[in-house]
Formats: sequence, C-alpha cells, structure tokens
Amino acid sequence: MSWLRIRELVRKEFIQLFRDKKNRPLLIIAPFIQLVLFGYVVTTEVRDIRVGLLDQSRTRESRLLEDAFNANKTFRVTYYCNRPEDLDALLLRRQVDLTINIPPDFSSQIRKGNTASVQILADGSMSNMAAIRISHTMTVIEMFNNRLFKELHPQRADFGRVDLRLRTWYNPNLDSRNFYVPGIVAFLVMLLTLLLTSMAIIREKESGTMEQLIVTPLKPFELILGKTIPFIIIAQAQMVMVTAFAVFWFQIPLAGSIALLFVSTCLFLLSTLGIGLFISTISATQQQAMMTTFFFILPFFMLSGFVFPIANMPLAVQWLTYLNPLRYFLIIIRGIFLKGTAIDVLWPQLLALMILGGIVFAGAVFRFKKNLD
Amino acid sequence: MDPRNVQTIARKEFYHLIRDFRSLYLAFMIPLLLILLFGYALSLDVDDVAIVVVDHDRSPLSRDFIRKLDASPYFVISRQLPDTASVTKYLNRSRASLGLIIPPDWTEKIKAGLQSPLQILLDGSDPNYAGISRGYISIFIERYNRKLRDDFLNRMGMEKFNPPVEGRIRVWFNEDLESRVFIVPGIIAIIIMIVGAMLTSLVVAREYENGTMETILSLPIRASEFLLGKAIPYFFIGLVDVLAAILMGQLLFGVVMKASFWLMILASSIYLSVALSLGLLISVLTKSQLVANQTAILVTYLPSLLLSNFVFPVVNMPSVLQSLTRIVPATYFIDILNGLYLRNLGFVPLWPSYLVLIIMFGVLFGLNLVVLKREGL
Repeated sequence: MSWLRIRELVRKEFIQLFRDKKNRPLLIIAPFIQLVLFGYVVTTEVRDIRVGLLDQSRTRESRLLEDAFNANKTFRVTYYCNRPEDLDALLLRRQVDLTINIPPDFSSQIRKGNTASVQILADGSMSNMAAIRISHTMTVIEMFNNRLFKELHPQRADFGRVDLRLRTWYNPNLDSRNFYVPGIVAFLVMLLTLLLTSMAIIREKESGTMEQLIVTPLKPFELILGKTIPFIIIAQAQMVMVTAFAVFWFQIPLAGSIALLFVSTCLFLLSTLGIGLFISTISATQQQAMMTTFFFILPFFMLSGFVFPIANMPLAVQWLTYLNPLRYFLIIIRGIFLKGTAIDVLWPQLLALMILGGIVFAGAVFRFKKNLD
Repeated sequence: MDPRNVQTIARKEFYHLIRDFRSLYLAFMIPLLLILLFGYALSLDVDDVAIVVVDHDRSPLSRDFIRKLDASPYFVISRQLPDTASVTKYLNRSRASLGLIIPPDWTEKIKAGLQSPLQILLDGSDPNYAGISRGYISIFIERYNRKLRDDFLNRMGMEKFNPPVEGRIRVWFNEDLESRVFIVPGIIAIIIMIVGAMLTSLVVAREYENGTMETILSLPIRASEFLLGKAIPYFFIGLVDVLAAILMGQLLFGVVMKASFWLMILASSIYLSVALSLGLLISVLTKSQLVANQTAILVTYLPSLLLSNFVFPVVNMPSVLQSLTRIVPATYFIDILNGLYLRNLGFVPLWPSYLVLIIMFGVLFGLNLVVLKREGL
C-alpha cells in the first residue's frame, strides 16, 4: 500500500469537490440551514393555550374559575362567546385549542355543595400536544377545587397529603432544542457522508473515468481509502463546525468529553461510509444513487429515536432498530451533550457501532472490489 | 399548444422511467415505507411510562401507592431498586424515564396530617415525552391526594366533600388521542413532495448533464409542451401514491377520511402540480443532478416536514420562520388535509388554502416558462 498514491487521490477528490462552485453551498450552507431549522422549529412544547370561553353563569364563582385560568401563564382566553355554537365553530376553524363552557347552574350547584360540571372541549388533532393541554387544564381545575375547599372548610383542610417534589434531570426546562440539536448534528454527518461517498464513485463511473483509475497502479484498497478519506475529513470538519454552532449559538450544554465525541464519530463514519460504498456498487446512475440513499436515510432517521421514541414502537420494530447505526450514535451524542456520560456508560453503544461498522464496511469493500474486477 | 408534442415528450420521459427500473420502484417503495412506518411504528403518544421505585418506607400505604401507580394505564413499574444511586444509573442508561423515591417517614407524615414529600426524578431529555409524562404524574398525585382527603374525612367521621368543579373533558377530531390520526394524513403531503419534486428535480438536469438538452432545444416544441410532457408521468405516479396512501391509511390503520374522496383527489392534484412545477424549476435552474437533488431536499422535503404545521406547531416558531411557513405549499395542503381527514370540512371553509395553492402553481409554472424561454426553448 502506498500512502503517496492515496494522498494524490485524496487531493484529486478535494479539488474535484471544491472546484465545482455549486458544491460549496451544499457543503457549508445546507448543513447550517438544516441546523437552524431544526433548532428553531422542532418543538412540541405547549407554551400558549388559546381558550374560547362561554360563561352562562356570570357569578362570582364562575369569574373565580375564569381568573384561575387567566392567572395561569399557559392559558390565554382569546375569545369570549355568547352561544355554545360559537365555541364549536372556534374549535372547528382552529382558532382556539380548548373551549370552556360554564353552565348556567354553575354557582348554584357549588353553593348547594354539589359538583358543578364544566364542559371542556379539546382539539385532539395533534394528540401529543392535546395530552399536555388536557393535563394543564385538569391541574388548573384541581387547584381551583383545593382553593375552594380551603375557603369553605378551613378546619378540614389540614389532612396529610403527598407533596410532589418533581425534579427534571438532564434538560430541566424541557427545552426541545437541547434534545433535537445534538440529534441533528448526528443526522447531518450521516446525510453528508452517505450521499457524497456514493456520488463520488458513481460520478467516476458515469463519466467513464473509473476505467482510467483502474488502469493506474492504484490498488483496490488504496482506491477505497482515497475515496473515503476525504469524506472522513469533511465529516469531522463539519462535526466541529456544527457542534461549535450548537454550543455557541443555541447554547446547548456540552457536558461530556469532546475527545469521546470525536472517537465515536469515527466509529459511526465506518458504518455510513460503508453504506455509501455499498450504494455505489448497486447503483448505475446518480439518480439511482440518490434515491437509494434516500431510501436508506428515511428509515435510519425515523427508527433512530430522533423524534419518535423507540419505546413506543412495536417490539419487532424495536429489534430492527438495533441494526440502525444512527440509533447508537444518537444515544452516544445525546449522552455526551446532555448527560455528560462517559465511556463507562456508553461502551455498549460504542462496541455496537464498531461491530456494525466493521461488518458493513468490510462487506462493502468486498463487494466494491468484486465490482472492480 | 399541440397535444401530440406533449404526448411525445411524456412518452420519452415514461421510457426513461421504465428503463430505470429502480427509480420507479423507489418512487413507490418510499411512500409505502413511510406510510407503514408512520402507521405502525412511529408515535408521539406516551403510555406505559417506565418507572423505577425506591421504597424506603415499606409501609402498607407506600405499597398501596406503588400498586395503584402500576395499575394505572399510563405507568409501568419496571423495577424496585434498593437505593437512589441505582435510580441514577437507570436514568443515565435511559432504561427508565421516571424515578420515584419514597422517603422513610412518608406514611408517618401523612398520618400526622403534614405535607409528605415524595421525590420524583424525571428524565427530561426528550421534551415531548417528558412533558406528557410530567402531566400524567401530577394528575395521578392529585387524584391520590383526593383519595387521602376522603379517607381522612371518613376517619374523622366528617361528611364527604364533593369537589366543587369537575371538568368534563371531551376531545374532538381525534377522540382517542392517537398521533397516527394526524400523522398519516400529513405524511401524504410529504410523499407528494418526495415523488413530485425530488424525482422531477432530476429530469431536466439529467438532459443537461447528458447533453441531450441541446437536441431538445432544437426541436420544434414549446416550453409549455416540454414541461407538461416531463410532468405527466410523474403526475400519475404521484396520484397512484396518493391513492395507495389513502387506501392503506384506511384499511390498515383505520385512519378514515371524513370528507369527500373526490375533494381529496382534487386537492392532491393541485398540490401535486405545485410540487411538480417546483421540482422542474429546480431542475432547470441547477442543471446538475447532485445539486438539484440537494436543493430539492432543502427547499421541498425539509420545509414540508418542518415548516408546515405537520408535527411541529407553527405558533411555537420565531416570527421570521412563521412568515416563512406562509410560502411553503405544504402548509396549505396540510391545512386542507386536516380539514378533510379530521374535521369534516368541505371546500367552502378552506377555499383560501385551495386558492393559494392554485396561485403558487401558476407562479411556479410561469417562472419555469420564463427560464426555459431564456434557455432558448
């Protein structure tokens, strides 16, 4: 194996990659756009619940309930209605998330010591957010009840109760960004290496220059190294850029070790470069390569726990995710960023990446060599 | 415009497609895969939150509390642990998302009529999951407190207290709160973008790269004929994908369309036309397959996924991005889909969205013509 030949091939790849002016935005701007998009957009937080209110009782009690909702920062009564039909229309046209209908006998029931029911309609179309809105609503009502209880029966209020002391770890403010930005870092690295590796080889095939490379004294393994090393360098450079952006722009805490991040990225690249090589062996045209890449990326992305929790998947699919290199890399990268976990906790994931990457890369190299002959 | 010319170009494009069997195959496989994934595997809902428990109290009351928690449909006690340190370990390795620590004097304090602290550790790294499970656990504790109060009043021989207000909560449009019900229709918008824009983004660029664009420029055809011919095969592929998606959603996952089927076909056709013109425009402008594909991912696929109110609500975004969502076609189509699938809204309440899509199509098609004319077609 001659390092000189590899070096020259690497140099050629770099020249080819950067000579085409159209490639530059792709390498530099596209990752940033994606990072910014994901950083700002991907959140399912419930910050603001728009409420349509119909108060048919118009008494002190009903106003107290209204105040209880208004005092809560997440709720905002945006419409006061006069007829129940108006509430339905608001909900139907997506102008509110929740409607509250206080019946005419609301306060008379309370004064009698009965339970007055308030009708609440929730827009369930985005089920995950609806679940949070509903639990907020129930909390407000429960707090309201407790207040009334204390007011009405001060002597009976001092019963022993559970005091919930909830502490949230790793991401105390439940900030979506902290969860998704490290994930997108991993995703971008995968996207770039998978696509560029397969494209670089297909382009040689399409333009017929592969023949020329084969007749040079380059050995197959040197050819593979020469074709993959540029993308290892680019991927690592991108990793540094993107991580810096995440830490300094989005203020994502980087609790763990940067060295571990580097090592695990290398292990992850083993799989993605292997898959890229593999795609190049089964595709004849750039269009095919792109579609095939996309076909690989979609399930990798969806079945990695990036947005959709793995624990929610059916068991068979959960087993399938063990074949997904992005799954391991996400656990590692989130662990390093958020939890500050080190190798003592992350070794199973690192080992899995190493084994998976080793097999995939070796298989791809084998196929690639056979293709060359 | 001569329909014969359109037909000829369409036939040529169709042959390209048939000959490149894999691209065609993928044009059907990617949508299939997406629908299956989203229908079966991917969900944003939370049930069976895994809890690890440390019970320092070991009293009948604490055991009863744990049993009640386990019996609730929202939680599963995955393990009882000896000490707090092991809870940390479980949370660090993501093997549980909630840790519950019952202190030694828990029951004693409750019996004494005091506030008895109960410590809960929550893994907040996934904010969606954590937010929902936080809601579940607070409500569970409130319910439990209500029970403690009733027990207390009972013990003291006092009259039971009726809670003054009860919220009768009813959920509309998605009664069982399943994320599938809004994700499966939304995925149709993504599929159309992938098939419509990402596939077509390659077709003119390919002509440029192969040098066959010269031949086409010298043919006696108009730009509009060329565009229509290029788009027609992909239009039919897209329509077939939409039909498959509707059918699979309904048959496999029980996601039933509430409004009219034909209106759905109409809306999908309009949106598909927008996607096709967008893809062709990218192709004509970039003239390189690699760049075209990357651009297509960036300006069609990602915005449809992220900036369209699909899973991530627009109201949470910074205002700059909020205004950006207004030029994303998927925003309007997802609005229409939401109406058709969940709210049983027909054409009349949603006409502005249809109109915007039609205008977008007109503008994009016009731009295509302008660019192609400048190229000499």
